[in-house]
Amino acid sequence: MLNFIRKPFGYEPIVTKEDLKKSNKKKVEKASDWKGVLSRIWKLVDEQRFLLIIVLLLVVVSSALALLGPYLIGVIIDEYLTKSNFAGLAKIIGILVIVYVFLSVSMYLQSYWMIGISQQTIYRMRTGLFNKLQKLPVSFFDRRQHGELMSRMTNDIENVSQTLNSSFIQVFSSILTLVGTTAVMLLLSPLLTVITLTIVPFMYFAMRWITRRTSKLFKEQQQAVGELNGMIEETISGQRIVKAFSQESRMLEEFSVKSDRLKRTGFWALTYSGFIPKVMNLLNNASFTLVAAAGGILAYYNYVTIGEIVIFTEYARQFTRPLNDLANQFNTVLSAIAGAERVFTIMDEPEEVDAAIDNKDYKLIGDVTFENVTFRYNLEEESPIIQHVSFHVDAGKTAALVGATGAGKTTIMQLLARFYEVNDGRILIDGIPMDQLPRHTLRSQTAFVLQDPFLFEMTVKENIRYGKLNATDEEVINAAKEANAHDFIRKLPNGYDTILTADGGEISQGQKQLLSIARALVADPALLLLDEATSSIDTVTELKIQEALERLMEGRTSFVIAHRLNTVRKADLVFVMEGGKLVESGDQEELLKQKGLYYNMLTNAKI
Amino acid sequence: MKTVLSYLSPYKWLVITALIFMLIELSVELIQPLIIATIIDDGILARDQQTIIFWGSIMLALSFIAFLAGIINTFIASHAVQSYGYDIRQALFKKIQSFTMTTFLKFPTSSLITRLTTDVTITQNVVFMGLRIMLRAPLLVVGSIIMSFVVHPYLALYLVIGAPFLVVFLYWMSRRGLKLFGKVQRSVDRVTRKIQENLQAVRLIKAYLRGSFESTRFEKVADSLKVDNVTAFRIMELILPVLLFVMNVSLMAVLWFGAKEIQIGNAQMGEVVAIVNYATRMTGAFSMFAFIIIFFSRAKASSERMEEVLLEKEGIEEIDTDSPYSPTGIGEIEFNDVSFHYPTTDVPVLKDVSFIVTPGSKLAIMGATGSGKSTLLNLIPRFFDVTKGEVLINGVDVKEWPLKELRQVIGLVPQQSILFTGSIEENLGWGDSNATEELLREAAKQAQIHNSIEQFPDQYDTRVGQKGVNLSGGQKQRLSIARALVRKPEILLLDDSTSALDVSTENALWGALEDEKATMLVVTQKIRTAKGADQILLLEEGRVSAYGTHDELMESSSLYREIAESQQEGDNYVELHS
Repeated sequence: MLNFIRKPFGYEPIVTKEDLKKSNKKKVEKASDWKGVLSRIWKLVDEQRFLLIIVLLLVVVSSALALLGPYLIGVIIDEYLTKSNFAGLAKIIGILVIVYVFLSVSMYLQSYWMIGISQQTIYRMRTGLFNKLQKLPVSFFDRRQHGELMSRMTNDIENVSQTLNSSFIQVFSSILTLVGTTAVMLLLSPLLTVITLTIVPFMYFAMRWITRRTSKLFKEQQQAVGELNGMIEETISGQRIVKAFSQESRMLEEFSVKSDRLKRTGFWALTYSGFIPKVMNLLNNASFTLVAAAGGILAYYNYVTIGEIVIFTEYARQFTRPLNDLANQFNTVLSAIAGAERVFTIMDEPEEVDAAIDNKDYKLIGDVTFENVTFRYNLEEESPIIQHVSFHVDAGKTAALVGATGAGKTTIMQLLARFYEVNDGRILIDGIPMDQLPRHTLRSQTAFVLQDPFLFEMTVKENIRYGKLNATDEEVINAAKEANAHDFIRKLPNGYDTILTADGGEISQGQKQLLSIARALVADPALLLLDEATSSIDTVTELKIQEALERLMEGRTSFVIAHRLNTVRKADLVFVMEGGKLVESGDQEELLKQKGLYYNMLTNAKI
Repeated sequence: MKTVLSYLSPYKWLVITALIFMLIELSVELIQPLIIATIIDDGILARDQQTIIFWGSIMLALSFIAFLAGIINTFIASHAVQSYGYDIRQALFKKIQSFTMTTFLKFPTSSLITRLTTDVTITQNVVFMGLRIMLRAPLLVVGSIIMSFVVHPYLALYLVIGAPFLVVFLYWMSRRGLKLFGKVQRSVDRVTRKIQENLQAVRLIKAYLRGSFESTRFEKVADSLKVDNVTAFRIMELILPVLLFVMNVSLMAVLWFGAKEIQIGNAQMGEVVAIVNYATRMTGAFSMFAFIIIFFSRAKASSERMEEVLLEKEGIEEIDTDSPYSPTGIGEIEFNDVSFHYPTTDVPVLKDVSFIVTPGSKLAIMGATGSGKSTLLNLIPRFFDVTKGEVLINGVDVKEWPLKELRQVIGLVPQQSILFTGSIEENLGWGDSNATEELLREAAKQAQIHNSIEQFPDQYDTRVGQKGVNLSGGQKQRLSIARALVRKPEILLLDDSTSALDVSTENALWGALEDEKATMLVVTQKIRTAKGADQILLLEEGRVSAYGTHDELMESSSLYREIAESQQEGDNYVELHS
């Protein structure tokens, strides 16, 4: 048994520098910015502030009623109990019942409204964070683990929610009682009040000692939760691979390392913060003894009357209760601040820069120029993934990108969709530098079929309609037919209304691609980007949709990465990429005449 | 709740110790009023400084004892709680790892994440509270009731007159709370799911400019979470006002009948005052009671969610059973009249499929999109169980194989390359943590990815970004192939995993794989790849449409000819590169 008690001492405080460096280079153990966080939460409370004031008024009312009750009971005991004045007793009991009705009602109303306020605030925080995520550049998401971001959205915000729900009222009513009692104490005896207050500096130092540790620990704890979340998300999403390679036990081991970290930080956070009420109790008792002892001496020399001391000690005890409550609330507030801070960190991330010029209604013609474009995903990388690429595609033409894997074809596509900003050189659309074109203008007129098809957890119909939100059912079905998806959709349990489950294996990869093509078909864009749009589709089906794709490309500037020679051959222009450089470009004939890489590819492809 | 609580039992000594220290603290707290009374009555009122100092010191000493007890209690309680949390997370994660793929269809990822984090935390909070303060309120209430019965049974009766009503009320409330908080947690699941979806589809959403559309969709789930939370808490917050009201009215009854009793001479003034005092103290404890019930029903909802995972009986597979029985063989695969439909639908995906692949040979599987090719591969490592017929490896039904052994002989390269956070080297050695550097490099060379890796700035130490974003499709495919090769599998399952490779790379890859003695099942779209296989299995809507060599199928199967034609343009193969 001794071992069980000794065990907790075996913990070591967590090393965090490294972790912090990993997640945030600038911040090395920076304490929480209280004021900033609180004022931002206050901003989120927004138009509910008026209601909040009503809640505060109700707290005042219920505090007053809560005091009135005992006072009236005192009156009953003193005046009525022995005097057999039942008529008077009935009257005063009647009054008391009314007081209690009001007390209960006002208590309920204040929590009723407070819950509304806090949940509305949380709702704003959550949707605000989500909206923010929509505005962040793609590169932000490349760096972060999904699960970790998800944790901020749930665990961290949940922390704030808990605190807002209950702590706000409690903190206010504690302060109210504290101020009230101090006032009464001052009235009774300023000297004894000063003696009572001598514990305040001790409290301050004790609290500082504790919160210095906890505010850091709470942050670490939230971070540990985030990392654990990241790991869980990744493992469960990749469960097929975990199973195929029978790595379950190793995953369990890795999980236990992260889980253990959470356990350790959690242990210290809980322990230190759990000290608060204990310390408070001790100081309170010390203060009481001090008052009693000092009061005794003072009474001895007749500085104060005995009655005063008796009443005073009663109040001194009253004084400590709200202090205790405050100290306890302090804890929850601390952990909420740690959570809120993590949310606000994301809120402060730089957003995608957008063109200032407002030419929303600009209709894209589709003339595309790359001027000496250089790009790397990570600035620390030595060799850029795209190096000095220049080309021009006239509006309405189709350009095929060819080259070995890793040559930079997909990256060109991603730059065209402006997922990333070029490091050097520029991209011009219709002669306008891309960064002067609002994203909205560009993307609303671009359709992108990505290499990895993704479907949302909604009906097939809605998934296709994603390309054009106001598409009619007919348009959707036509697009599905053109993409050769109609037949398999009809065979689904609920046809077009079948809800697709993201993790579910009922739809094959090829079928997902067909649906993504249908999605692009309804979009009716000026610029079309097809990145291996048909890679998982069998060649017979592919032939069938080829025609639809060609019709789609007709008159639209299109960039295509495809393995079908047919598609490449029908392109107006071919760009051959190698190692991030554009090595050959031109129309079919030119390139074949050059007898270079493209020529070799074509001849190699022969049997 | 029982199952979840059983995870506390290894710490029962800690729990007991924590409770003992809590009782020490509590008893000091109960003695204190007596000491204070003594200090006031015998010290201050009697102007006796000695008494004040004497009892004051005792009070200080006792406070210090309480303080120490409190600190120790905190220490032990948080240790117990965190260890409990760790254990239950571990148990949950282990259980999840043993889920079959079918069970995963039942529990969405987002829901599992919530259960492993938020739900665990909610129960931890309750246990911690329980070890520190929870007992205090009931003890205070029970103590006060007993004391008032001792003082004056008749009047005390009025004090507890509301009790039956309160018991029913609290029971009903905790039932409601269980339901309401369960609903809240399910809403949390949905919020998590929506975020996960958005993170996965970030490019798609940006490309189609659906940021605000997604925000609107998110607002819906966030709103329903808000509504669920508001409803739950608004109802639960009723507890305290109702409790207080009932208690206060009972107090009025005590006063009224107390006055009558005093009049008839059945009660003393002091007795009534005492009962009033106990009643006030009880009322104070009740606010804690309300809190406890809210927290408790929340925790109960969460533990039920965890138990759903922990007690899941069907759809569990053994992990890590080192069975002495290890079927020997060299990679023979046989499908015997296999039919299959996914558990979620009745639509058959495979119908009466039979074939044999002899050890070391290569079978190409072809067929239209959605004809069941990937599903067929999934049956071999037993991700799903056949609905009819049997799948035999080395002559033994896969259902008889110990799972770990079975999967040990299989190298699977899925259609969608799944990579993990970490370096390239870690990803390569992912399936075999004991693999030597040499082995990793050899596999990388075989998979034709070595040269590409060498060109990365950090080579084998290059970090793979979130889900492999910094790699091209072809690079990811080759990495997954290398990862499978590291394990030297007897059976290699390639699910269209060369689709993004250019012709020359792919040729080199097939050449390198020739050296492997593995039996290969290759799903492919390309006739050229199929031609290199010993046999070709052509699927059509889940049935075997044709089986044989390229030449045989060119003769016998019109569907195969159609596929071949679709890839023929004049003299050229249609496919060029990635």
